[in-house]
Amino acid sequence: MNEELSSTEAIPVVGREAAPASANRRSERRLGWMLCAPAAVVMVAVTGWPIVYSVLLSLQRFDLRFPARKAWIGMDNYATVLSSSFWWNAFAVTMLVTVVSVAVELVLGMVIALVMYRTIVGRGLVRAVVLIPYGIVTVAAAYGWKYAWTPGTGFLTRLLPAGSAPLTDHFPAIGIVILAEIWKTTPFMALLLMAGLALVPEDALKAASMDGATAWQRFIRITLPLMKPAILAALLFRTLDAFRIFDDIFVLTNGAQNTSSVSLIAYHNLIGGLNLGIGSTMSVLIFITVALIAFVFVKVLGTSAPDAGRR
Amino acid sequence: MDRTAGGITRWSVVNLLVLLYALVPVVWIASLSFKDPSTFAEGTFFPTRWTWRNYRGIFDNADFVRGLGNSIGIGLVSTVVAIAIGTMAAYAVARLDFPGKPLVLGLSLLIAMFPQISLVTPLFEIERSLGLFDTWPGLILPYITFALPLTIYTLSTFFREIPWDLEKAAKMDGATPLQAFRLVIVPLATPGVVTTAILAFIVCWNDFLFSISLTSSSRARTAPATISFFTGSSQFENPTGSIAAAAIVITIPIVVFVLVFQRRIVAGLTSGAVKG
Amino acid sequence: MLRAPFPAGAPAGRRAAAALAAALTAGTAAGCASGASGSRVVNLYNAPQESIGAIASRCNREAHGRYRIVLNTLPRGADDQREQLVRRLAARDSGLDVLGLDVTWTAELAEAGWIREWTGRYAQQAREGTLPGPLGTGTWQGKLYAAPYNTNVQLLWYRSDLMPDPPTTWTGLIKESQRLAAAGRPHYGEVTGAQFEGLVVWFNSLVASAGGRILSPDGRRVDLGPSALTALRTMRQFARSAAADPSMSNTKEDDARLAVESGRGAYEINWPFVYASMAKMKPGMLKRFKWAPYPGITGPGRAPLGGANFAVSAYSAKPDAAFQAALCLRDRRSQRTAAIQDGLPPTIEAVYRAPGMAKAYPMRQAILDALKTAAPRPLTPTYQNVSTVSAETLSPPSSIDPPRTLGTLRGLIEDALQSKGVLP
Repeated sequence: MNEELSSTEAIPVVGREAAPASANRRSERRLGWMLCAPAAVVMVAVTGWPIVYSVLLSLQRFDLRFPARKAWIGMDNYATVLSSSFWWNAFAVTMLVTVVSVAVELVLGMVIALVMYRTIVGRGLVRAVVLIPYGIVTVAAAYGWKYAWTPGTGFLTRLLPAGSAPLTDHFPAIGIVILAEIWKTTPFMALLLMAGLALVPEDALKAASMDGATAWQRFIRITLPLMKPAILAALLFRTLDAFRIFDDIFVLTNGAQNTSSVSLIAYHNLIGGLNLGIGSTMSVLIFITVALIAFVFVKVLGTSAPDAGRR
Repeated sequence: MDRTAGGITRWSVVNLLVLLYALVPVVWIASLSFKDPSTFAEGTFFPTRWTWRNYRGIFDNADFVRGLGNSIGIGLVSTVVAIAIGTMAAYAVARLDFPGKPLVLGLSLLIAMFPQISLVTPLFEIERSLGLFDTWPGLILPYITFALPLTIYTLSTFFREIPWDLEKAAKMDGATPLQAFRLVIVPLATPGVVTTAILAFIVCWNDFLFSISLTSSSRARTAPATISFFTGSSQFENPTGSIAAAAIVITIPIVVFVLVFQRRIVAGLTSGAVKG
Repeated sequence: MLRAPFPAGAPAGRRAAAALAAALTAGTAAGCASGASGSRVVNLYNAPQESIGAIASRCNREAHGRYRIVLNTLPRGADDQREQLVRRLAARDSGLDVLGLDVTWTAELAEAGWIREWTGRYAQQAREGTLPGPLGTGTWQGKLYAAPYNTNVQLLWYRSDLMPDPPTTWTGLIKESQRLAAAGRPHYGEVTGAQFEGLVVWFNSLVASAGGRILSPDGRRVDLGPSALTALRTMRQFARSAAADPSMSNTKEDDARLAVESGRGAYEINWPFVYASMAKMKPGMLKRFKWAPYPGITGPGRAPLGGANFAVSAYSAKPDAAFQAALCLRDRRSQRTAAIQDGLPPTIEAVYRAPGMAKAYPMRQAILDALKTAAPRPLTPTYQNVSTVSAETLSPPSSIDPPRTLGTLRGLIEDALQSKGVLP
């Protein structure tokens, strides 16, 4: 089932007669295009033009509060953003959150995937409950974490030395953001990994256990290697998702103490500063970075088309 | 798998840990929502004084009620449209053979990975000029776009599961193509479509960035964004209770969906590898 | 709480269901503004204030049908209020009529063409009897863009049982704190040291008290000089002394108020709302809670000037009604209500001598005196940027390195003035 969806041969095409091949093929081609057309048009129109427009905006000085000063200034905005310590700070924070949270999620997600897949009691219940962090509105959960870590109202701050307010310090706040991200998105990682787990043939595992391999050895030598495509696909999706982090940081700190992510700093410059030029420049830079990360995963690490897409 | 007493105990303990992981934060928010506002500073996990006041308060707030309406309405419209056009594309991907299929799938992947903030900037300016700012269509368009990749992938998974030969068999038994479609295919496809619709709805319901950027009033602002704009009821009071109550209110429908449709959702998100 | 035009008395559940149904059916129709609509409705967007509802009701009664003010409440934080307003103004939303603006936003909104100039009869009525300092905050390039509603100055609020003779300088305050600390009494001096506008307010007043300023009078160039160095040194010294509360870098106005009310703080530099709050929350402490002028470098300093003004949106469909409504909302009776019930100092001088002010506002003379020398914040349309980058550079106050911080500030503010800077 884990076929390369980019290869057309692998999809079983059923229910088609072996009639005059070319006529049938042509009508099938047309039907295929017609059916895909609406979706393709919507996706291209809603993202394609805005991205082009974004690039155009990034080449202008365009501040909504100074409509008279609008002008074309070439790459000046890029120079401004790329030489700004605020931007690189946000970039570093985003990278830190991405790397740490994805690494932890991989391990934790694998554990939960194993539990969801192999538990012998209450399987339905466990799977259903694990889906709750996936389904809960991110902002709702973020407020829960915010109040849990606020001195006075929170039950978690009681575990810390008195008077400490972790959300108002740079590194503790980032730690809390990472925790919130991990809690929310590990279930999705677990689901993607469970898909990979299901593809490991039982016979191979049985044979290995009969040969005396321990559970740990079976896991390391058989399960993991066979899961590699699923792991890479899961990593790709989660890394890109983590890089785009916004909701959690917005609610927990709103970027105070330099804890902004790249998405949040772009938002502050766009909506707070009404500076469309700078905001667009950041948007384009973020887009390029995301494309780079995807490129690295697909070409360098050899990730094949993953099976499920998610925002 | 052997169900020994020891095995059951071990797995039960592990299950319990996983359940705690998933549920403790949710129970915390619920407990906050039932706390009397005067007891917030106590910082206990469970309320020392229970009250419905926070829930009454948010339903008295016209902004929040309108935000709920917006979330439901915009979510439904976006889901219906995404399912309509996504079903067609998924059918083509699952059943037909045509050049350009990898392009469609590649495009879906691209959209799934797209950073939303990169879309907010131009959309803000475009919608401002077109008068779509702070309207339902202004949000519905990006929602559909971001729901489509998930829709196409999940539906194509479900469609691949359907035994299409049954349709041929029904036609050979004398059914018209329409009858074959209606009586054989539709019942087989419906569970998949419903599940995908729920997943797409969750994507729209969950959105925050588009809602706070592309709206400015309760005309189109959805519930998650409205929550973040709550003010306290007096100059000196924090909106903690209202926010917690509102957070629970917007979480309940999703929890219900997820619990009822767990098996199909898991099947959909694991590309059919795990069927329950 | 938001006040929407629902019939009073309808049970919450039914109201909610009706609203939900209305929202669902009305949702796809474009062109219905939020806030109420109707030919006589004037939409007021204001920060949360307890008595504004009563003031608006009174104005509605006196309008005799000429207009009906509908109150829409903005979020509590000034930054959030601004974000809401400018976004709608940038989208040319016609649903805004009268806007309650913080004093620092006048230049920005006027320059962008989003608020209307007050002219003729309306301007004359707005100027009559108004104190000059607040009037200046509603003016940009010589034209009046906003009518002053309330003003605000910070004073030194102290516990007379701990500090019978309050000092007039920051170094004096540090010494007092050291003395109190040695005696084992509460010794924290609460200042707004969190990374937000309040920190910039502190810095600005220190620079003004030292005789300098941040920007040139036309708002085009950075003017930071030796007085800025003095200000930075003072901030650093204060933040590292016995007077500094450990959570100073998280302290905003409310936190400072709570610290003194709970007994942790010995004194605070804050706006007069703390007096109304003390009267309500801890009336037992009220008679030992006194005020003194804002401390300076070598003597009393120049207090920060705050407050709120009323402006009329450029996209309002009924500007005449809006101007009249705004004039009523800020007239003498309204200002007196706001002063007595919410602790908001009036901008019309005569109100200070109105009956009832003496009891509820014992510090009015101190306020009037402070207003004579109060230091407004720099006047520039890019004030939001200037403030954000300044707050970021000055935080936390204990890590200020005066020469280096000054250099950084100069560079960042210069960029901000050109809208060239990146906001954090």
